[in-house]
Amino acid sequence: MFPLLFTLLGCAPAPKADPGVVTVLQEQQATWIRNFNPLLTTGGTRWPTRSGIYEPLLIFNGATGEWTPWLAEAWSWSDDGMALTFDLRDDVLWSDGETFAADDVVATFHLLRDNSSLDLGGLWGFVESVEAPDADTVVVSFQRRYSPGLADIAHQPIVPEHIWSQVEDPSTWANPDPVATGPFTEINVFRSQVFELGKNPNYWQEGLPHVDALRFPAVGSNEQAAWSIVQGEVDWAGTFIPAIERVYVGRDPEHHKYWFPQTGGMVFLYPNTTKPPLDNADVRKALSMALDRELIVNVAMYGYTQPANPTGMSDSYADWRDPAAEAIGAEWMTYNPEGAAAALDAAGWTLRDDGVRYNSAGEPLELSLSVVSGWSDWVRAAQVASRNLEAVGVRCNVKSRDFSAWFDSLGRGDFDLSIAWSEEGSTPYGLYKGLLSAKAVEPVGEPAIRNWHRYPDPNADALLAAFEDATEEALQHQAINALQMRFVTEAPALPLFPNPSWGEYNTTRFVGWPSADNPYARLSPNLTPDPLLVMTRIMPRENRVATQ
Amino acid sequence: MTRYLLRRAGFYALAAWVALTLNFLVPRLMPGDPASVMFARFQGELDPEAIDALRETFGLTDAPLWQQYFSYLAHVAQGDFGTSVVYFPAPVSEVIGSGLMWTVFLAGIAVVLAFVIGSTLGALSAWWRGGFLDSLAPPILSFIGAFPYFWLAMAAAWLFGFELGWFPVRHAYGLDIEPGFHLAFFGSVLKHAFLPALTMVVVALGGWLLSMRNVMLGTLGEDFVNYAQARGLSKRRILVHYAARNALLPNVAGFGMALGFVLSGALLTEIVFSYPGQGYLLIQAVRGQDYPLMQGIFLTITFAVLGANWLVDLLTALLDPRTR
Repeated sequence: MFPLLFTLLGCAPAPKADPGVVTVLQEQQATWIRNFNPLLTTGGTRWPTRSGIYEPLLIFNGATGEWTPWLAEAWSWSDDGMALTFDLRDDVLWSDGETFAADDVVATFHLLRDNSSLDLGGLWGFVESVEAPDADTVVVSFQRRYSPGLADIAHQPIVPEHIWSQVEDPSTWANPDPVATGPFTEINVFRSQVFELGKNPNYWQEGLPHVDALRFPAVGSNEQAAWSIVQGEVDWAGTFIPAIERVYVGRDPEHHKYWFPQTGGMVFLYPNTTKPPLDNADVRKALSMALDRELIVNVAMYGYTQPANPTGMSDSYADWRDPAAEAIGAEWMTYNPEGAAAALDAAGWTLRDDGVRYNSAGEPLELSLSVVSGWSDWVRAAQVASRNLEAVGVRCNVKSRDFSAWFDSLGRGDFDLSIAWSEEGSTPYGLYKGLLSAKAVEPVGEPAIRNWHRYPDPNADALLAAFEDATEEALQHQAINALQMRFVTEAPALPLFPNPSWGEYNTTRFVGWPSADNPYARLSPNLTPDPLLVMTRIMPRENRVATQ
Repeated sequence: MTRYLLRRAGFYALAAWVALTLNFLVPRLMPGDPASVMFARFQGELDPEAIDALRETFGLTDAPLWQQYFSYLAHVAQGDFGTSVVYFPAPVSEVIGSGLMWTVFLAGIAVVLAFVIGSTLGALSAWWRGGFLDSLAPPILSFIGAFPYFWLAMAAAWLFGFELGWFPVRHAYGLDIEPGFHLAFFGSVLKHAFLPALTMVVVALGGWLLSMRNVMLGTLGEDFVNYAQARGLSKRRILVHYAARNALLPNVAGFGMALGFVLSGALLTEIVFSYPGQGYLLIQAVRGQDYPLMQGIFLTITFAVLGANWLVDLLTALLDPRTR
């Protein structure tokens, strides 16, 4: 039977990819469901609907730290900081040939206002009105001065009014055939295993994109994703690959490249500051000194990242770091078990013969460390951290729990120590809001959406308000400087390491990728809206070598 | 006969109701909710405020459980399983529809092949008991069957797919082939199904072989087989029509069960080989706390198991007069 089967299979034609088609691996799904609604969260919506099919007004370039004009040519704050004006490009067409105008932008924001389930950024919590004085200008008026709102507004994907005004319920519409302004708008193929996005025939950036189409094979698991990348079937991916130098680069050092900048979110060890002795900053600092972060990143992250910066800011906020704060933070962020022991002694926790510290009441220093079971990088980090803590006399049990249970107890403050992520954004505002804001502190037992460690800093909310107030960068820097100083003096949470932004590319068929040598944008397709910058720059390699 | 069938029908109705109720309750006993899981998947990229918007999107209600239960029963009766959370806003029936056919195809083929090959080998082993086949096949196949399936499938995918490149290691057919009624598509489907089906067959063979062989050994000692030999019938006729045919009865019952589990059994295979079926959807649903999708999948599995057993009951009633 087998020989027969082999002969039969032999006549299936070998698949040949079109030379201008870029194969991209971003989402991990075994089946594609047709959904191109940019107003829903990613996950349900196919990538790159939010930044590729549709486009925002401006793009914050995380690699350069600057705003790139996109659908808007220019933008400015009013003198009182209560209004934001966008000058739109006048040469933009929708993919169906209609003209893009200010009414489309206004209609998009009104969709969010009228369907609160679509308002993921909570825009209408600070926006008063969105108006179009003429066809190329949009004015967003604020309820109060709120400078972080710029990113939420500028990054909103804009949808065409002439299509969406006909949609009955935009929050459940799958938008199967998108009409958009982006570089790739045509659905050439859509099957459960693969789909292909073709060029926008009316794209406003003349001559762009250089490639004909993007193609997305459905791949369901990390192993499968890694295999297809390693085998050279994929041109652009954002997947974690272990031992990438050997596994991927080693297979074809000339063409197989990766760039893992440490610009992802910072991973923290959160101490529950409502529980003594974790309410004591000296104890928190002592625990931090006990942690061997070098070992943690090598064991947990395969050395793909580095120990955290003392300010808690990842490399995407490198310009915001204050050297004075870094110096103070370094005192409790550097691995120093002797220092940790001394600080715990001073705090009244003395070491007994059993290797554990006890207070004067005879209670042992015992902490549990919660982590999500199955998130293997965090589990490994937790194991190293717990061994580090044991070494200075803290009894530490790693408690790995199912994701939902873990997240529930994190929000309700039912933990001693827990590893978790922190907020990301175009400025460190959200990060410090989550770390310090007293307003965000909920009573223990009530679910908190941020500040899970429940540290109410008395000064933070005023400083955060100062940041919200500041439309000038210098003033924003002042506020962030003060906030990071609060952070390094109080150590409300212990930064562990920044997550790398995973990104791999293959130059066999296409060139022009961002890299450490040419950092015109961030490479990782997992970020939004950075991929727009990449997909409009990449181009087919000339004198392409036949690789099939 | 009619009374027997009615009694069985009543039993299946009761089982279906219990399954429906458990199906409703179990996911709701899990801590957390889909909105927070969805939110958490973004690990800080999403504004914390978005969690309320997500809750509203998915229509999560705080209605009392009994109210939810009755509206659930009413909807299921109309074949409406609701809207998937993970694949929002696609309806659950559409999501399941995208994977169901492939699971039935892949696992169905694997179960049938394993049954046919296993039973044949078992019958032959018993016929030549102590011979070459009998001393090799049962221990080797049992040995392979004892491997953790996940490991075996990964090893096969890595060796034959990744290193040697003989077979594709993912998807149900080539990405460049338009599905349709033509040879290229069928060839591609077979080629893609080969490795997943092979691993499923190989691990299941041992079980079928052993049970067939053991029953067959008993049957071969029966008087009617001796009588057939005494009559001078051909060996082939005795093997197929006298011994194997009788020995097959217990295996048929097992086959019914196995067919029923087809829908869930392919879970690991589909994950390893990125095969677009039910199993992978189930994992996605559990990860995302997607109650509607989980319920839809569990129900398809439950009804498939019940349906297959009902068929086996009918078959047994026809084959074996004693059950009536």
